[in-house]
Amino acid sequence: MIRFILSLFVPFRWFIEKMGADYNQFIRILQLKLTLDNRRVKSLSRKPENDQKNALILQSLIQALVGIFFGLFLSMVKTPFTFYYFSHLFIMVMMAMTIISEFTNILFDTSENVIIQPLPVKGNTISLARNAHVFIYLSLIAFSLSIASIIVAFVKFGALSGLIFIFTIILNVLFTLFLANILYLGIFRIATGEKLKNLLMYFQVFIAVLFMAGYQIGIKLVDKSNIMNMELPVHWYTFLIPPAFFSGFIEGLSLNNWDVTHLIFIAEALVIPVAAIYITGKYLTPVFNRKLADLELGDRTSKVKTESTGKSFLYRIMSSVFVHEKDEKAAFSLMWKMTGRERLFKQTLLPSYGYFVIMMLLPFLSNPGKLNKISEGDNYLFILYFSVFVVATLPRALLTGANQHAAWIFKSIPLRSPAGFFKGTIKAAFSKFFVPFYIIVVTGLCIIWGIKIIPDAIIAFLVIYLFALLSYYFQDPLFPFVSDKAAAKAGGETIKSLMFLIVGAAFAFLHKSLLHWFSFANLILIPVYVGLIYYVNKVMVYRKIRWKVVDRVNVY
Amino acid sequence: MNNQTIVSIRNLTKSYGEKEVLKGINLEITPGQIIGYIGPNGAGKSTTVKILCGLISEFSGEIEIFGKDLRKQTLEIKKQVGYIPENAVLYESLTPMEFMEFIGEMRSLNPEQTHKKAEALMSIFEMKPNINQRISTFSKGMRQKVLICSSLLHNPDLIFMDEPLSGLDANSVIMVKEMLTHLAHDGKTIFYSSHLMDVVEKISDRIILIDQGTVIADGSFSDLNKLTNDANLEKMFTRLTGNTNHEEKAEAFINAFEK
Repeated sequence: MIRFILSLFVPFRWFIEKMGADYNQFIRILQLKLTLDNRRVKSLSRKPENDQKNALILQSLIQALVGIFFGLFLSMVKTPFTFYYFSHLFIMVMMAMTIISEFTNILFDTSENVIIQPLPVKGNTISLARNAHVFIYLSLIAFSLSIASIIVAFVKFGALSGLIFIFTIILNVLFTLFLANILYLGIFRIATGEKLKNLLMYFQVFIAVLFMAGYQIGIKLVDKSNIMNMELPVHWYTFLIPPAFFSGFIEGLSLNNWDVTHLIFIAEALVIPVAAIYITGKYLTPVFNRKLADLELGDRTSKVKTESTGKSFLYRIMSSVFVHEKDEKAAFSLMWKMTGRERLFKQTLLPSYGYFVIMMLLPFLSNPGKLNKISEGDNYLFILYFSVFVVATLPRALLTGANQHAAWIFKSIPLRSPAGFFKGTIKAAFSKFFVPFYIIVVTGLCIIWGIKIIPDAIIAFLVIYLFALLSYYFQDPLFPFVSDKAAAKAGGETIKSLMFLIVGAAFAFLHKSLLHWFSFANLILIPVYVGLIYYVNKVMVYRKIRWKVVDRVNVY
Repeated sequence: MNNQTIVSIRNLTKSYGEKEVLKGINLEITPGQIIGYIGPNGAGKSTTVKILCGLISEFSGEIEIFGKDLRKQTLEIKKQVGYIPENAVLYESLTPMEFMEFIGEMRSLNPEQTHKKAEALMSIFEMKPNINQRISTFSKGMRQKVLICSSLLHNPDLIFMDEPLSGLDANSVIMVKEMLTHLAHDGKTIFYSSHLMDVVEKISDRIILIDQGTVIADGSFSDLNKLTNDANLEKMFTRLTGNTNHEEKAEAFINAFEK
């Protein structure tokens, strides 16, 4: 596959050489980058242990599958303008998602710079190869996703229209490449070093949540509107929307329609991507290269921050509530600090807050009148129990990090049992990331239902705490932040989160029916759950987390 | 075993799957000595050190440290032992002070003393200004210094070091060498592995050379020198580990260039 891709560059040799690059070196660098891509473990693959040989093909197949669903959905659209508009919008959104979620792998990948920089290669060749690489990567995504739409286009609107569609996809990729450059340069301007990495992390979390929201709202819209006859009106601002250029371009050429509207679209579709490429090559790439070099130097160029040594108010409250044993204390205070700093941990955990908020708010958004009626029932129980959703990702997130070889320290200090450390860890994460969130949720619910819900909130809290402990103790007892593969395994996480929701709902039902049965149920439930938590923390964890088991999964 | 023995290893063997890394090591170590543990890459140096520190608990043979069985009384032994691993890997998002506070607490030391000692040790290495900065911003040598400090917090009697000098600048190497001599003077035992032959030759009271999982030379440098008559440790090392045709290899290397 790599050879095929590289052979596509042969006709453009004159262009590459005109841009001031050495053609042979250009092809070699590109080959290296693509080979690395092809062996990289993708977040979608289930077996990260095995060497991936055809990661690119696998990824394309998965995307083609996604494209088929979208193509089927689009095949209902009658007018070509709307059809192409949505196809291009879909491609652009998906490319943007990939650029953001895999930014370190694509745009910021500086790993091979160590190898390439000392060789006698011109700067032009390197930057051109990098842009070509991103271009290939994005084209692969674009074409895998739109293969189904292309077939639909050929069948529905004829061969000419389909061929022009293919051509516009290439233009679209060029334009998105330009946008990606602009986007990253913008981010570079705001921050550097550690701060930049943190900013990108929050940006990724935000995009993940936004995507989820868009998906949910999109599904809701599908039920209501009649897609078949949907037709997009052309307003003045339509000329500013990129997917509109391309669909206008296709419509204009294939229908031989040369009115002013279509002429503007055609001009935009041709001129903007070409101009974008020119600007990227001439002005953006040199700036980008300079910034990228700065990024590699990391914090050494910027001022190093000194950490404060004081303990926060929240820390003091939580540690006095949750930690009573000496062997947990050290772990609790260590993990309290580290969970606030480990980027991969936050990146894994934080989206679930957004998902939770969206899930809880959607019913209200689609039907605002409901709010008055809802306060009469006891639906608050479900909202309380559903906040277990946030806890579902916590145990896995605690494993995620880049400290693969730091676990030796636990083995070199005299620890009778590792259980105390694990207990302190989950307690710190739970009390720092769940308790404040839960207090906000409960406060919100109190505004609607009044303070009578507080006993129920306490019971739900106990159940969720029990869940957090059990799910942490039952996964592989790896020391915190040592597994970079844990993130890759997060694919199964969606299913697990759903399971948590179902179990949460079951417990909510249990709670609800007990309350219906006799009103003193709370008095029974609280001691039962407290007893269970006591058993898990005092007995079970010491049986479950022993050196023998811990040694089996950790590397020292 | 007499009272003076601090570490006693009898017939230590260790295999990773089919491959036998250590093939019967026998050693007796007395206190107050600096022991240089040398050998070619893959000879089993790190494995030995990791076993002695309790990082690897599966091995065959008998090991006694401070007269205690390593298998049964691991915790008691670990309380008196310090370990500095080969690659300076620490939790990067912590500061040296936070890291040392954690270790102190896990070793049940007095927090105030930990604090004072950490500051004192760090200022010896001229790293006091960095004590509240994140380790992720440190260079390799700085990380190595943090590791050395954190392994000395609990005042261990026996210190294992795996390549302690790698990544340190010339001044720090001199400093660590001085420090080791001082520690040995105070009756502490230091067992360290290294590739720097001239350093090993100068500071070790005893040199142990292993190759392919067995001890092939053991004694002070002057003892060993009487037997082999080599000008320095480097020459002895290459002769004993069986790579005598360096000149031929170098010549072949140059020929490969000219072609």
